Parts: sequence; structure tokens; C-alpha cells
Amino acid sequence: MKIERYDMIVIGAGPAGLSAAIEAAKKGLKPIVFDENARPGGQLFKQIHKFFGSKEHKAKVRGFKIGEELLEEAEEYGVEVILNATVVGLYPEKEVTVKIGDKVKHYKGDAILVATGASENMVNFEGWTKPGVIGAGAAQTMMNLHHIKPGNRILMLGSGNVGLVVSYQLMQAGCEVVALADAAPRVGGYGVHAAKVARCGVPFYLSHTIVKVEGDECVTGVVIGQVGPDWKVIPGTEKHFDVDTVCLAVGLSPMSQLLKQAEVKMNDTKGGHVPECDKHGATSVPGIYAAGDVSGIEEASSAMIEGRMSGTAIACYLGYMTEEERDSRIDELEKQLDTLRQGMFAPKNRGKLVEKTDEGIDVSMNLLNKGFVTDDEIERFPGVTHQKGIHPVIECTQNIPCNPCQDACKMGCIRIGENITSLPAIDPEKKCIGCGMCVASCSGQSIFLVEEDVEEGYGEVTMPYEFLPVPEVGDRGVALGRNGQYVCDAEVTKVRIAPAFDHTYLLTIKVPNDMVMRARFYKKEA
Amino acid sequence: MERIENHPILGETPKRKKVTFSYDGKMLEGYEGEPIATALKAAGVMAHRYTAKTHEPRGIFCAIGRCTDCVMIVDGKPNIRTCITPLEAGMVVQTQYGVSATPEE
Repeated sequence: MKIERYDMIVIGAGPAGLSAAIEAAKKGLKPIVFDENARPGGQLFKQIHKFFGSKEHKAKVRGFKIGEELLEEAEEYGVEVILNATVVGLYPEKEVTVKIGDKVKHYKGDAILVATGASENMVNFEGWTKPGVIGAGAAQTMMNLHHIKPGNRILMLGSGNVGLVVSYQLMQAGCEVVALADAAPRVGGYGVHAAKVARCGVPFYLSHTIVKVEGDECVTGVVIGQVGPDWKVIPGTEKHFDVDTVCLAVGLSPMSQLLKQAEVKMNDTKGGHVPECDKHGATSVPGIYAAGDVSGIEEASSAMIEGRMSGTAIACYLGYMTEEERDSRIDELEKQLDTLRQGMFAPKNRGKLVEKTDEGIDVSMNLLNKGFVTDDEIERFPGVTHQKGIHPVIECTQNIPCNPCQDACKMGCIRIGENITSLPAIDPEKKCIGCGMCVASCSGQSIFLVEEDVEEGYGEVTMPYEFLPVPEVGDRGVALGRNGQYVCDAEVTKVRIAPAFDHTYLLTIKVPNDMVMRARFYKKEA
Repeated sequence: MERIENHPILGETPKRKKVTFSYDGKMLEGYEGEPIATALKAAGVMAHRYTAKTHEPRGIFCAIGRCTDCVMIVDGKPNIRTCITPLEAGMVVQTQYGVSATPEE
């Protein structure tokens, strides 16, 4: 039996695995990366939204662009990636067996990094196996990779970031999202993601779950119902929707089976079966490391940093760098990772109801229960001010690790400060020139430009717009409020696009001046 | 289901080579190299197979080759994951009943 040897074997060519391989290759290692898929990049190429974070986390860059950059970097450093290669065995002696085509090959590494990511959780209900019930990942794969609509009329189950982001992407692909349901009493994902779905008119049904899916050969409808404190559906609360597709976004679980097979010490946590790791990603078996979602579900941004940390640790473990060099690089990466793990959605707050922001402001309960901040509630946040002339209105109401808006404004109107999770505040002393860079830079699409008096009785609202067809100047339609309901008639007065906006159009509508703080979306028809 | 020809973020879908293949004896069109499942979805096919014991329909579920719900008989070989198998001209794709190409009585 032939065994091929490598310094470092990486299992999984997603954000964590590729980042680790690049980091180690920079130090002179020759890593080999196996991935079972036909393309590298993991799930990054399905992510078409702008990422959160700060500059060093590649904030405001779209996921698939980050994937392209990662692949270029991997190529530059000579990282070898073997695709269509399924790792079927991992042994404590740091041996792996890999199925490539119809053959199984053996490899031995001096160090092994497991970066296998996660798989989607599922729930079952009557009819859940019918064609037309799909995972949220499947929806992204179909529309963003294979250019086909997953369905025409869709119900989304799950209000975490995946459910919210995929709902929005479904609408971008031209599908109708008829409702978003979640058995939990509160929206699980970022409020800004919920708000951009709600303002398009998608109703949120929290404390609701699927009773059954209808149809013989495929899905033709779905019934949801309200759940009581015992998580059972309360009779009489059922609602029916005609849909052809039901999309499930009910969480992810680490794919840690290989680590278990390698006799790594595992912990059974709420977030799944995860390996016990030190801060470098080293498991209980010397030379075997884990990084990314397999060691605990987070965002792709965190996975990339964890990967770089493990790559650094492996380079040191194999003698390619000193411990001092390692520690200084790890320190730097740890700081980046730490900033991503702050705020209301920090791992320590998972599942908790946070009622006040760090600034002591009451969190919008409507945002958590219905997906949008009400007109009264929005006034209490520091990004929302009333001024003469054009000015930004920032409807960012939760402490999340993100700050591109601060750098986007060259006039200094927007202040977040040292703490990346602070709510953006407006400095009324600084003069907004209406350039719109803040609007396009906001990954949460929560920034609007508002001008109360443009002409007698009318003002203007500028909003981010990422749908087709792009409206044209002179178009008349309706303005929708944060809740997705009609607020007034509207006329498109400006449509702007620039390379720096990265496919986010800035759409300006004219509305009666008492509506400038209410109109937040434009539709051609009611 | 409709294909996406133009997308607000991804732009125009790149032109690809059209090929024909057979699905349960009918000739269908798809694009070379796309997953068989995508071509079938574009043609409106939802049920890819029927389960062995209870004869229930199954279709695309995970779309990344994990769940095996979408397996069909391709060029005479059963259990082919159509969501990750690239379409080629002239492929013979058949609905899978249990593991065979003919429904049981």
C-alpha cells in the first residue's frame, strides 16, 4: 500500500481550510487541501451579500468576492487543492484515506487540519419530504451558483441570519417570499437583515411553526400555526399559504465525525458535537487541529481568522517559525477575532434576550417580534436625527461588529469610535454632502439619506436598492414603510450607480415631507 | 422553473452550450456542465425518484450531494446524485423507483 506524505493536510477548502493553508504556505510549508466538492471556497461563492466587520475582516465586500480573493492568494502561495476528493477516514496516527473517483488513496501528514464546516439542521413535519421542501443552502446553490429560481412562491422557516439573508436573496432572484416563520419568539439574526426583508413586504410570523406541507407529487401549499409555551401548535391559529417551495433555515451543526473517528476529545454542546481545542485550534490529539464551523458555528469571517491562527500554529509545531513569531501573529489575529465576537450577538449572548444596547437604549421589541422598528421607536437611536438639508439617517439599532459607514463618510458625519460594536451616531456639526457612500457601504442596508424640504410640501429619501429592474427617473410608484405597508405615492427623482457602490443602486424618491421619516422602500405598484 | 438570466448582483448569466438529453424517454434541453438536477428543474421536473417501500416522491433537497434525495438512474446506473453530476449531451436520465427504472405494481 502506497502512502503519500505531506507536511500539512487540510480537510475542507472552505474559508477556514484555505486560510490555514495560505498562512502555512507563507511560512514555507507545502500543504495539500482535500475537498469533496467540484469547486473550492466552501459556501463563500453562494454569499452575494456584503459582509459585516471592519476593514481587516473585509467588511462591505461581498462573500463571493472574498472567495475569489482567497483562491487567488492560495494560488499565489502554491497551495495544492484536490477537488472531488472525499476524506473518508482520519486516524490518530495522522493518516487519512481519501476517495478520489473510484479509488481510495492513503496520505500521512505531519499535521492535519480538519476544516469540514457544518451541515444544515432539518426539522420534520407532515409532508417535509415532498419535492419542493428544500434547505436554505439548496436555495442559495440553485439561484447563486446555477442561475435557476428555487421556486416562485416561497415560505421561509427560520429567522436566523441564514433565513433572513436567503429570504432577501430569493427576492433578488425574482422569487416571492410569502412569509417568514420561526418557532422562536424572537428574530434570531441581525435586526438590519430582518428590516431589509420586512420593508419589502414580507410578513414575519414569530412563535409559528409549520403544521404541514400540502401536495401530492410536490409542494402546493403550507399551513403554519402559532406555538404555545409547550412548543405545540395552538388549535385555531393555523394559516394557509399557496406556495410551491418551503425553505428550511433552522440552524447548522458542525460536521465533526472525522475528528471523532480520530479519537479527538469531543464536547457535546448546545451548538453540536465539537472538538475540545486550545486557542490555536489544537485538539487533544497532537498534530490534529480544527478550525471554522467544525469547531463551533460562527460566520465565514471568523472561520477565516481561525484558519489563519491554526495555520500559524501548525507552522510553528512543524518548526517553520519560532514560538515568539507564532505568538505575535496569533495575538494580532486574536484581536481581529475578538472584535467579531463582541456585541449583542456574541457567542456568550446566544439565545439570550438583550433588552438594552451598550449605550443604554431600549432595543426595539417590534424588531425582535415582527422584523421592523416602528416609526416611534426609531427616533431614540443615535443614528437618527432631524436636520435642515440632506443628512444620513442610520437605522442600525443593535450592537453588532461592523463599522464601514464610519470610514465611508469623508465629511466625518458618522461616528462609531474605537468600539466596533457601538451604534453609529450622527455628528450634527459636520455637513453631509449627499454623496451616498454611507448608504452603499452599509452591509445591513440600514442607511438612508433624508432631505425634508426639497420643494414646497415635498422631501426626498435615498435608499439602497438591489433588485431588478432598476427603476428609472420619472417612474411613479408607492413608498412602503419599515413594515412593508403602503405609506404614500412616490416618484423616482434620482438613480445613482458607481463602481464604489458595488452593485448597490442609490434610489432617490420624492414623497410628501411628513413621510420622509416613514418611506423606506419603493415599489412600482402597490 | 424559470432560469435567472439577469441578476442585480451577479449580472448576466454567462452563455453556455445547449445540449439535449433524454428524461424518461422524452428529449429535454439543458446546459452542458450544469447539474442534471438544474436542467430538470428548468424543465419543470420535481419528482426525481420514488421510495422503495412507500413509493413517495423525492426531489432536490440539499443540492450539494449530501442528502441523496435527488438520485436517479443516469446512463443505466442507479443512485446518481443529480444535483452534483454535470449534464452531458445525450445522457439518459430515468426516474428511479426504489433502485430500478420501472415502477413496481
